[in-house]
Amino acid sequence: MSPLAFMKEGETAEIVGEPLMRRLRHHHGHCCGNVGPSAAYDARCHRGGPGHDHLNDMGLRPGKRVQMIANSGTGPLILLVDESRIALGRGVAMKIYVRRIEA
Amino acid sequence: MADKENEDSQKAASDRKASLVIAVAGNPNAGKSTLINAMAGTRLQVGNWPGVTVEKKSAEFEYSGRRITMVDLPGTYSLSPYTQEEIIARDYLVHERPDVIINVVDATNLERNLYFTLQLLELGIPLVMALNMYDEAEQKGFRINAEMIASTLGCAVIPTVATKGEGIDRLIEMAVEFADPSKRYSSASASYGEDIEKAVQTVVENVRHRGGKPSGHEALRWQALKLIEGDELVLEETGISEDEVFLEKATHHLRKAHGEDLEMLLADTRYGLAAGLTREALQKPEKRKRELTERIDAVVLNRYLGIPVFLLSMWLIFKLTFDIAGPFTDWLDAVISGPLTRWALSLMTLIAVPDWTVSLVTEGMIAGVGAVLVFLPPIFAMMFFITLLEGSGYMARAAFVMDRMMHAIGLHGKSFIPLLLGFGCNVPAVYATRTLENPRDKALTALLIPLMSCGARLPVYVVFTGVFFSAYAGTVLWSLYLLGIMLAVMMGWIFKKTLFRGEAPVFIMELPPYRLPSVKNLLIHTWEKGKHYLIKAGTFILAISIFIWFGLNLPWGVESKKDSYLGLISQAAAPVFAPLGFGTWEAASSLITGVVAKEIVVSTMGEVYAPKACEEEQSEALTVGEDLKEIGVSFAGALGEAAKNVFSTFGIATISAGEEDTTGIKAAIARNFTPLSAYAFMVFVLLYVPCLIVLIAMRHEFGTWKWAGVAIAYQSILAWTVAFIIYQGGRLIGIG
Ligand SMILES: Nc1nc2c(ncn2[C@@H]2O[C@H](COP(=O)(O)OP(=O)(O)OP(=O)(O)O)[C@@H](O)[C@H]2O)c(=O)[nH]1
Ligand SMILES: [Mg+2]
Repeated sequence: MSPLAFMKEGETAEIVGEPLMRRLRHHHGHCCGNVGPSAAYDARCHRGGPGHDHLNDMGLRPGKRVQMIANSGTGPLILLVDESRIALGRGVAMKIYVRRIEA
Repeated sequence: MADKENEDSQKAASDRKASLVIAVAGNPNAGKSTLINAMAGTRLQVGNWPGVTVEKKSAEFEYSGRRITMVDLPGTYSLSPYTQEEIIARDYLVHERPDVIINVVDATNLERNLYFTLQLLELGIPLVMALNMYDEAEQKGFRINAEMIASTLGCAVIPTVATKGEGIDRLIEMAVEFADPSKRYSSASASYGEDIEKAVQTVVENVRHRGGKPSGHEALRWQALKLIEGDELVLEETGISEDEVFLEKATHHLRKAHGEDLEMLLADTRYGLAAGLTREALQKPEKRKRELTERIDAVVLNRYLGIPVFLLSMWLIFKLTFDIAGPFTDWLDAVISGPLTRWALSLMTLIAVPDWTVSLVTEGMIAGVGAVLVFLPPIFAMMFFITLLEGSGYMARAAFVMDRMMHAIGLHGKSFIPLLLGFGCNVPAVYATRTLENPRDKALTALLIPLMSCGARLPVYVVFTGVFFSAYAGTVLWSLYLLGIMLAVMMGWIFKKTLFRGEAPVFIMELPPYRLPSVKNLLIHTWEKGKHYLIKAGTFILAISIFIWFGLNLPWGVESKKDSYLGLISQAAAPVFAPLGFGTWEAASSLITGVVAKEIVVSTMGEVYAPKACEEEQSEALTVGEDLKEIGVSFAGALGEAAKNVFSTFGIATISAGEEDTTGIKAAIARNFTPLSAYAFMVFVLLYVPCLIVLIAMRHEFGTWKWAGVAIAYQSILAWTVAFIIYQGGRLIGIG
């Protein structure tokens, strides 16, 4: 088990670590809602941006197989999740754990 | 159940409603707007990156005697939204309850899209699925069993290719049929398992007994599920608190069996269903082909090549903009200052209007509006390339490539998309900040947007580079845009240290496959973007040109423009600009009036430097017919010139090549500026105060004038300082 960020280009792995994913999620709560259509600037709204849930909604969840397409060691990386390419900041990628799958 | 029947009978009463509301929902970039454009013949904005549509838009059309209103919604990954545009989509679906939902699904990404479909089904609104991008799915060798999806989910599933209009007729037909309560299919939404369904049942009953807030037609099942999840929005809307006894009771069993995190449990359940259905209905080929997108990305996103590729493509865009538009600019210039002015003069002589009216029309209206109109070709060329950039899929890549640089200023790559859009026009760019997750990012990005050089500033650059730097116009232009980006990074860094402390949020973004936009779509969306500048020239700029004419000709009978009201004010302001190299009253007047909109800078110059109409030699010899012929011939010449330029892109750009006229605005500029002061002037125009409409957009988006005020303040200081450094620095090292 190692962080997603350590995967090399071309490697395939399965996301694991539900507990870790959960911890991540409790870090970042939901975005607040009370922002109407032509919303006003609202400081209450900011609770840390998207965390677990956005990852989850975009298909990055425990049990999912992902392939690393671009990882240059610094900066963001790109994952292939099914047929979609998802760019991910290195920060989050360090908090998601994966288990490598031999090709 | 009683409510459900009640609801049904209500609907039956209005059976075959004369008008239907169909909402189009789905994941970002699935092709929702394209689909509506194909159905309703509209021109909603389309682009190949997630987050194009940020506002709910509607389109109407007639279908078998009924009025159909299609509502285009921003794309969203779930009904527990994060960003503002996602909230717009969610609120519409939950509160307005359309008659039918068309769920646009990206057929190449079935599992994730079905996860969202399941959430839509919870709403209990009839649903028709458009299995879009079917062409791409087929290309990948996917085989999708649409019937299986339809029967499992209790909805209709129609394969579509929105870009080609395939499957559209059938889709409308099914959507209308599904709206009909008597023929409604049982939307027997997939079961979430006994445990969950039981909890839902309990919550539904309790909520109904409470009466109170949730009205009858509200989606009870959906509401119950959200209450179980502990969705903050729904808790707030229903006025039910998270530790309400009945909620505790209903979920007690679930918590014991599956742990405390019920939101996770439900997400897992939905994903389980989506994954299961995908496994059954989708047949993938054994081996995944390496796609073109991957090959392009290997270069474009390469760690070393990424930024050079970005800079090179920008350079190419500016170069081509110049080369293609140059000849047409000259042509328009000749037409407006020649035949058009002549015709106006003859017409006015014919009806014998007073002298001052002649002056108002030629020196005010024609000189002012003409000065802007002349630059429509480069503006349209620029919009064309931006549309191409948007349609190709490169936007999201640029965001990725710039992520590292954006981190330095406490933002992430996604913020770069609104910034890039700012090259077209700053106003939609301000609205595009909606896709950013938190208000801090939004405000910071919006503050930096005015530093992105929009189409309205192009005329100023074109005039000045045409006069002083015609041999390398594209490069000079590029340097200005680049300067804007660099200063945005610098200002972002300063803001991060002062106004906006805090961490850059998480960067997650989908990179779509590269797509080749169709020529027709390219032209349509180029026109949609450019037409605002045309309309603006005919209305706003015209009004201001007239206003400026009065400013230059009052008090009545003033001898020279210098002593007019505008002249006097400008003379007073001019010393402020003297250290920057353009301390003339003419420059000052154009900068003062240009606060309203940046095109006005050239428009004012057109008027200030316009020769007196009465002084002009009138060559009446030409007839209208001869004039028209001349216009046609010179247009053909311009076409040829443009074509030649494109083929020799790396040769010398020649904007307004050939003999220079000695009377026009260009000659006046050549007399009044040096190359150095001209560059300083362009930089000043690039940086100083956002235009009025951008300020209004900022106020609208943030609900306060605060950020607009900050923008005015910092940009004025920045513009002056940078222009000062350029001009004085240049003089020190002996340029100019
Ligand atoms: N090949 C193919 N491309 C499509 C199809 N439908 C849409 N596209 C392209 O997909 C891209 C996205 O289309 P949009 O209509 O902007 O998508 P959207 O769902 O409105 O996106 P958002 O507003 O960002 O949520 C565009 O480049 C379209 O040309 C299709 O059926 N086949
Ligand atoms: Mg859209």
